[in-house]
Amino acid sequence: MEKKAWNNGPFGDIEGALRELFESRGYVRYRMSKFEEYDLYAKNRSFITGEAILTFTDTDGRLMALKPDVTLSVIRNTVPGTSLKKVYYSESVYRAKDASSGFSEIPQAGLECIGELNLYSVCEVISMAAQALEEMSRVYVLDLSHMALLSGVLEDMDVPAGCREELLRLAEEKNAHELRALAQRNGLSPEDIRLLEKLIRLRAPLRDGVRQLSALPLGNNAAGALTELARLARVLGAREGIFLDLSLRADPRYYNGVVMRGYLPGVPTAVLSGGRYDGLMRRLHRESGAMGFAVYLNLLQRLPSGGTRPDADVLVIDAGADPLELADYTRELRGGGLRVRVDRAVPEGFTFGRLVTFDREGGHES
Amino acid sequence: MRADTVNIALPKGRLGDKVYAVLEKAGYGCPELPGGGRRLVFETPDGAARYFFVKPSDVAIYVERGAADMGVAGKDILLEYTPDVYELLDFGVGRCKMCVCGKPGRKDDPSSTLRVATKFTKITRDYYAGLGRDIDIIHLNGSIELAPLLGLSDVIVDIVETGATLRENGLAPLAEVCDISARLIANKAAYKFKYNAVAELTNRLQAVLEGRS
Repeated sequence: MEKKAWNNGPFGDIEGALRELFESRGYVRYRMSKFEEYDLYAKNRSFITGEAILTFTDTDGRLMALKPDVTLSVIRNTVPGTSLKKVYYSESVYRAKDASSGFSEIPQAGLECIGELNLYSVCEVISMAAQALEEMSRVYVLDLSHMALLSGVLEDMDVPAGCREELLRLAEEKNAHELRALAQRNGLSPEDIRLLEKLIRLRAPLRDGVRQLSALPLGNNAAGALTELARLARVLGAREGIFLDLSLRADPRYYNGVVMRGYLPGVPTAVLSGGRYDGLMRRLHRESGAMGFAVYLNLLQRLPSGGTRPDADVLVIDAGADPLELADYTRELRGGGLRVRVDRAVPEGFTFGRLVTFDREGGHES
Repeated sequence: MRADTVNIALPKGRLGDKVYAVLEKAGYGCPELPGGGRRLVFETPDGAARYFFVKPSDVAIYVERGAADMGVAGKDILLEYTPDVYELLDFGVGRCKMCVCGKPGRKDDPSSTLRVATKFTKITRDYYAGLGRDIDIIHLNGSIELAPLLGLSDVIVDIVETGATLRENGLAPLAEVCDISARLIANKAAYKFKYNAVAELTNRLQAVLEGRS
């Protein structure tokens, strides 16, 4: 895999690159405190990935939480206005994946665009998600779907509500065999079943995918979603790496419209997740729309280490050198942009580009 | 090594042998198999697939974590651990049922908490939650059939293949929870980055399973 050279600390340069990307589109940094009142999360618990939240009682008796999520805090602190609120963040959140695993600090960077969103602002967020992935790897996949498409098709098929949820879950697994069996048990016609199978197997670059969808008898309830996807495809163009995959799904209580997940080669799970979340806004009594995404920086440790550089460019062994001469020598090296370590012997496990032994006679390259 | 080689985790043992036979028919045979001595990794001559043999209950972990691109796991494991993977095919081999079992003719007393011994705590919890029944789950790792015999539990939830072990211990299936068989699963990221190879393998396997090849 081709990868851009970056390696300043665990996520140093990638955070910097994302910051540059976000700021290049006029997004301003949102800094948050580590704590938030627990109430905010208790009311919207299922929005947060993972189950457990770290809580403590503050000195004034309020129950507080170490932030398990950034989006909720951003919305809470958003003042409605005529312009869009465009913010980005690079913060750690704290949560446990499930009841059996311990708590983790999860560094994440992302953005939120809040207000009256139009086609341009939605495309801008999607395009920035693609660019964010590209900052990490030239090869990437950004999957897009629309929350109202598959559910709209099922509405037109008059599928009972309980069965609809189960069919959507099976679609998420691309589990055509169980979907077929369940649809048959619930009396769906062979044509409808074939259509559902085609939809969950559909995977194509965005433009091709929209073309394929347009040729299918989707029904009235999915028409709005298809039109929106077609508009997005027209504005985003034939961008490599952006795919349509209708198996992608998010919680319908919070998400509506476009949802997305980003993948990088060598990382087994999605490193980017986001979408349009007007539903969450409504739950928090906000009238406007909103869209955003987060990049899970902790997962980037799984990227192949093609860009790793040694601990120092030059390791200088002090073999009884004159301190002044040694100081002049290392200053000269550092002046040339090299990272230099002086030691009495080669430290165990330390990596370096060049080894120089410096004694009373001066420096000798080894 | 080809960039699109599909790494496949197969379950060790009888189930793995049956699954490998289907893969071989689909054109993904490996001359070094079967037999293979103590080796754990095998590759097809054209490099299209590489097989790892792992403990059946570990297959889903290998796939979810990306150590394998695809794998074949029992539906019981998928329901119990709910790994975040795609389930692409039902192999139809290793067919059996997850059942509630107990002494034949046992009548449930809904006024008391039902004590259920099982290895499959999530499947059991989900099943009884669907029935709205209050239960006390007793997690056991083996010899589940002993639990009702010794009064440790009222019933058990376990996999029933022929029912012979149950009969020998004076037990019988009382209710079916779900059907179990081997399923082809894929890691979500691998599915995207090796899409052509994964799709071709899936299609060829499907053709064999449907008797088209």
